[in-house]
Amino acid sequence: MTNPQKLSELINEIDATMRMAFAGKTFWIKAEITDVKKQPDKRWCFLKFIEKNGNIITAEMKAVFWANTYSAIENFETNTQQIFASGLEITCCVRVRFHKRYGLDLEVLDIDYAYAIGKLELERKQTLEKLVRENPSIQLLSSGNYSTINNRTQLPLVIQNIALITAPNSDGQRDFYTVIEKNKYGYAFSITPFLTTIQGDNSSRLILQQLQLIQSSKQQFDLVAIVRGGGSDIDFKSFNDYNLAQAIALFPVPIFTGIGHDRNTSISDLMARQHKTPTEVATYILDNNMNFEQDLESLRDRFFDVVDDLIESAKSNLVHYKQRIKNLSPQTILQKGFAIVMQNNKIITNPEDIELNSEIQTLLRKQIIHSTVTKKTNDEK
Amino acid sequence: MKSKLTYQKAYNELAKLVEEIEDETMQLDTLAEKIKQANELIKYCEKKLRSIENETNELKGE
Repeated sequence: MTNPQKLSELINEIDATMRMAFAGKTFWIKAEITDVKKQPDKRWCFLKFIEKNGNIITAEMKAVFWANTYSAIENFETNTQQIFASGLEITCCVRVRFHKRYGLDLEVLDIDYAYAIGKLELERKQTLEKLVRENPSIQLLSSGNYSTINNRTQLPLVIQNIALITAPNSDGQRDFYTVIEKNKYGYAFSITPFLTTIQGDNSSRLILQQLQLIQSSKQQFDLVAIVRGGGSDIDFKSFNDYNLAQAIALFPVPIFTGIGHDRNTSISDLMARQHKTPTEVATYILDNNMNFEQDLESLRDRFFDVVDDLIESAKSNLVHYKQRIKNLSPQTILQKGFAIVMQNNKIITNPEDIELNSEIQTLLRKQIIHSTVTKKTNDEK
Repeated sequence: MKSKLTYQKAYNELAKLVEEIEDETMQLDTLAEKIKQANELIKYCEKKLRSIENETNELKGE
């Protein structure tokens, strides 16, 4: 071994070779990202690109976003509505860099969102197809909506016992409680919270666990509300998970989702009854109960209108009969100048009963006339 | 206590009472009884809408 080189001499040589090969060149690559470390305050992001064959990593390289391209991450998140995090496959434009101290890495210059969106949409389509294929109770309707056991289950007339799946101390939880508890109708509710992380990699499994807890609970619930709020427009991934969507579709208690999104509908939303925000879920529940009370009131009004009518008509019938009875009473007849003929304290209606020379009494308005019958003739009228 | 009344049952019974009373063959002598029943059903629903205590007490008692 003669005249060993200094490290810097070798590195200089590598540096020169790398420059020669890669200076000024950019490359579009497709790779999975991992070990993503974002530093939003400095607007840097360190990560690794990997490629796998099965579970074996076959290629790996460090990479970095600097401040001038950090906005690519933000745009990616806004456009694809998913968090730029480990596990994603992205297509991006990179430059090869060699640093004499820090070695080889790739500087990311741009991300192709269209690729990511296309991939997400494909995954979504495949998940939906699988749900319909493997669960006969899930049907795709001509409207593009899905009919499931869950969203076919009739809502109770009144919703009072609610299982609330949400993240602890979240805006969603707060919004939901605010609307429910401050309702102007004075309706009472029993809300049982089932708290869990509702965002991030594991969350679909955690939400699923909460659903299982609700199902095995002794308490009877009218409704399950899954709410998430507070501006987070990204990370929809967990709600597009096959297992969670399937569990929701088959769940026996009606589920309302309010996971805070205007533009997009997750697969979980499609399997349940979708509302946009936690506030809208709570408002719908109040309206539902108010509708019941209004129906009840209209039944009550109908009932008592009939009662009033019945009493009124009974009263007027009574007046009518009273008048008829009065018209027919002997007193009325006598007033009008008619007379009643009696013999031996009996009213005589058949003139044949009266014999000649017998005594009869004739009742007039105020007096009784006593007379003896001297002659009987037929009325020729 | 009395058999478990639900909103659905109460509503159905009230609807039935309305139909009965709207039927012209309604006998007046049963009217008072029907009014009493209707009032009880309405009171039940109105009270239940605004108080959850009954429910939890019943649960605790069981």
